[in-house]
Amino acid sequence: MWQTTSDGITYLLSQSGESLLRLFWFVAIFEIPRYTLGFVSVAALSFRPNAERRHVAGADRVTVLIAGHNEEDSIERCVQSLLEQSRPPDEIIVVSDGSTDRMPEKLRQLQERALIKEGHCTQVRSGKSAAVNLALRRATGDVVINVDCDCTFDRHALKKIIEPFVDPRVGAVAGNIIVGNADRSLMTRFQAIEYLISISQGKQAADLIDQMTCVSGAFGAFRRAALNRVGGLDAGGGEDLDVTLRLRSAGWRTLFAPEAICYTNAPETLAVLVRQRFRWERDAVRLRYRKHSGLMNPFSSSFSVPELLHEIEFAIFNVGAAIIFPIYIMWLFATYGDLALMVLIGAQAGMLVLDSATFVLAALVSPKVKALPLAPYVVGYSLFNGFVMRFVRLAAYLQEWVVEASYRDTYVPSKVHRVRR
Amino acid sequence: MSAAGAPNLELVSHAVAGRRVLVAEDSPTTHEILKLLLTQRGHHVDIATDGEQALEALRLNRYDVALLDFHLPKMNGLRVASTVRSELHGRDLPKLVAITADLPGLLAHTEDCENFDLVVAKPLDIYRLGQLVEEQAELRDEQQTESLEPGSSQLAPSPVRAAVPSTVRQPFAVEGLGYDFLLWPEDIDVRRLSARAMQATLGDPRFDAILVTQPLSVEALTSLWERKALYVLPVVDLTGTLGRMADFDGTDLGATETEQLGRLVRDFQDRRARLHRDLLFSEKLGEKLLARMFVANRPLTAAFDPRYRHLAAYDVPLGRRLVTREAEALCEHGLVKREFFERFHICPSCDSYRLHVREECSQCRSSNLSEEQYLHHFRCAFQGPEGDFRRGDELICPKCHHELTHFGFDYDRPGTMIMCGSCGHAASEPSVGFVCLDCGVHTDSDLATTRDVFSYHLTDQGISFAEKGGAVLGYTRDVLRFADLPLELVVALNAAAKLYNEDKTPFALVNILYRNESEVAAEYGARRFAQARDLFIENLRNALPKPSTVVKGQSHDFALLEAIGPDQAQVDFDHLKERAGRTLSVDLGVMLQAFGPEDFS
Repeated sequence: MWQTTSDGITYLLSQSGESLLRLFWFVAIFEIPRYTLGFVSVAALSFRPNAERRHVAGADRVTVLIAGHNEEDSIERCVQSLLEQSRPPDEIIVVSDGSTDRMPEKLRQLQERALIKEGHCTQVRSGKSAAVNLALRRATGDVVINVDCDCTFDRHALKKIIEPFVDPRVGAVAGNIIVGNADRSLMTRFQAIEYLISISQGKQAADLIDQMTCVSGAFGAFRRAALNRVGGLDAGGGEDLDVTLRLRSAGWRTLFAPEAICYTNAPETLAVLVRQRFRWERDAVRLRYRKHSGLMNPFSSSFSVPELLHEIEFAIFNVGAAIIFPIYIMWLFATYGDLALMVLIGAQAGMLVLDSATFVLAALVSPKVKALPLAPYVVGYSLFNGFVMRFVRLAAYLQEWVVEASYRDTYVPSKVHRVRR
Repeated sequence: MSAAGAPNLELVSHAVAGRRVLVAEDSPTTHEILKLLLTQRGHHVDIATDGEQALEALRLNRYDVALLDFHLPKMNGLRVASTVRSELHGRDLPKLVAITADLPGLLAHTEDCENFDLVVAKPLDIYRLGQLVEEQAELRDEQQTESLEPGSSQLAPSPVRAAVPSTVRQPFAVEGLGYDFLLWPEDIDVRRLSARAMQATLGDPRFDAILVTQPLSVEALTSLWERKALYVLPVVDLTGTLGRMADFDGTDLGATETEQLGRLVRDFQDRRARLHRDLLFSEKLGEKLLARMFVANRPLTAAFDPRYRHLAAYDVPLGRRLVTREAEALCEHGLVKREFFERFHICPSCDSYRLHVREECSQCRSSNLSEEQYLHHFRCAFQGPEGDFRRGDELICPKCHHELTHFGFDYDRPGTMIMCGSCGHAASEPSVGFVCLDCGVHTDSDLATTRDVFSYHLTDQGISFAEKGGAVLGYTRDVLRFADLPLELVVALNAAAKLYNEDKTPFALVNILYRNESEVAAEYGARRFAQARDLFIENLRNALPKPSTVVKGQSHDFALLEAIGPDQAQVDFDHLKERAGRTLSVDLGVMLQAFGPEDFS
């Protein structure tokens, strides 16, 4: 064993630049560009004049829509946190989507206390999209903000998320989502790092090149007229990605508001996390390659270069990387035998350096995230993300392609699955 | 305790004017006692030991009042009375009072009985008898002044008939049944009583019922209760306006009703005879009410009556407010017990119970609401009111323009929305609100306070109080009686008394009364009162200087302070009340009374 290790190190150290590329081609193709994009964007962000969006947008009327299923425990806290905003919403409309707990009663109390304007309760579950659409129909705000019940908000979140709407071309703005329960478990710490890199920093970067393609359902704002024009949300899941893509197709700009901060509770156990990611990835594949396949087809009416960019990005860095990675490992072992393990370790060491650098940069552009306590977990995160999550993603893609599993998600009522496009 | 036992000789000073009284009584003990008592009150008393002597004395002398025993040797009281009444008139005729242990026996002689002005049952209440003689004498004075006034009608031979006004009036059918009615308003009305009615206030058993011949208000009925003995007569209503307040509706008199009336009058008679005179002549409205419950032999039953602002009326000729106040007080003393009848919501502005209940918009309070079902189109997740989908008889999705054809597969109806036609607000369910029918003020249903209305039953204690009078209770209100004290306190009290006897160490027994008990219980519920009382006691326990004992009693509580006299204790009362009551959310109306060793001699 020791012999193999020292051989491996000797071997790696003796490589030239060209032969290194031959060894680490996977990293070179699938990882380096992604990180480079990140570094460049961070550099660009730090040079961007900060005051660019400091317009006053107080005249807009703001409606908050909340759709929840069995949220008797969290709804009141959520509403209270919204009313604590520096720019409180003008109205809050809540829909209890077929709740079987005491949420309807809770809504009645909130309405009696005039904390919410309207509370509606369906007797059977319709799914989040339908619930939001019902609330949307009752909304009177120029901007409607969709939030999840289990989220809480930074005091200036609403003010910051509606600022971009000063630009009449803007149709939707995504909020910055931070993991609020990072210290609960190892899994939540990993996710805190992941959200920091992929949302707080990642979406800022994407925003720079007009590639912000998912206004998350946890905290997103929409121009009501724009949302109504595209018919509100379509049947889920992944309705947040879906509606963002449809808004973009309809010509609206979709932006990211890094200072509009929302805290969410991430899954605390691996099992729940894996189930959540299976759902997300399946929905992403279904939406991008089935419902919105036109975006990649040059002959389709919905085809456009900016949309092609993020489709390619997803195809290469998410789908491609997930599929090629096992092939790369097999190739390594077939070609190098015992040395393959050392090569892999070497690759991971390189990744770790990149991840650490990314983490530091992301922390720098996201001052609201308490990054320091997360720093010791970056090593674990790098391994976890590089091996576990990549296989989770692969499994989800395969499952969706082979058995179309997203059509059986319990996130959406089965009656909807049957007929959803 | 001070005033509990010994006869109170102060009574002498109460005597107004000396009256001349004849006592015809064969028992030497009885006539000795009567003579002693009446003489003490300043009256002149002659004694006759048989009927003939009595008749003789009556013929010779002019008396104000004659007390005649029913069973007299030689000539019974009845015959003496009828003879006297036929022979003597005007000033010569005294008030004739029958004394008998055999009340039913006497009453069986209906005709002759009318010759007595008053019948008093044995055993005699000697204190009461003194008062009675004076009342009779005064009544006689009044009647004679009346008859001497120019223009007034002459007294008819029988005083019972005398007071009936001579105005010509068609008699009511019920009057032909041979009962002795007091008529409203001829005999009794708000301002005055006829001589006959005054007779009845003395407890004269001849009167059968009060006959109401003209519509009258609930307030007017209160005058029945301001007098004595009238409140135990059944009320027969010929106007149909009293409803449940009357004991008998005499508007339609068939054979069955006549029989019922007979039974009613008889039952009242019997029960009245069983009623203790303490209650027949009570000054307290609560006791009068209890007497009424006992005589009517039925609980105070509340029932809905939409004519009144408070929607409930009791089956007694007395307003709801007074009934409730008095019955609650009786409850506190364990004489009656409550039975829940109904919980009413109250108008906060005018206190009326007459509230219109309605479903309304939570925003603008309009009741112009309509219910709309909404549809969920599964395919595109559109969810909205059915109206949005309606195109003639087809349902077309407004978002994706597909037709909805298959319920449960294309779409379903997950819920309903309540739409307000006035302000456009939508809610998942309507609010409930009240509008006061008396003042028009609107109240949210959850803001309206409620009040509970109860029916009341006599307890066994209440019944024995009615039958045996105040003595049975062992205490009178607000006065400390040893028997009423909790055992724990008696033990502590004994110890304190021993110390006092040994070396004159003083002690103070503090009686803690809660004057607002009924108000607090009515407003917040009895449980809340009990909690507040417990808290007060606990606070007091902490606030009192040691050594002291605080003991919970039945209707009030006690504190025993050692090594301190009542006068000293009293100094701190305001401070104590303030300290112990500080954390209480309701005002109990606490009253502290201090008693010292001298009070227990």
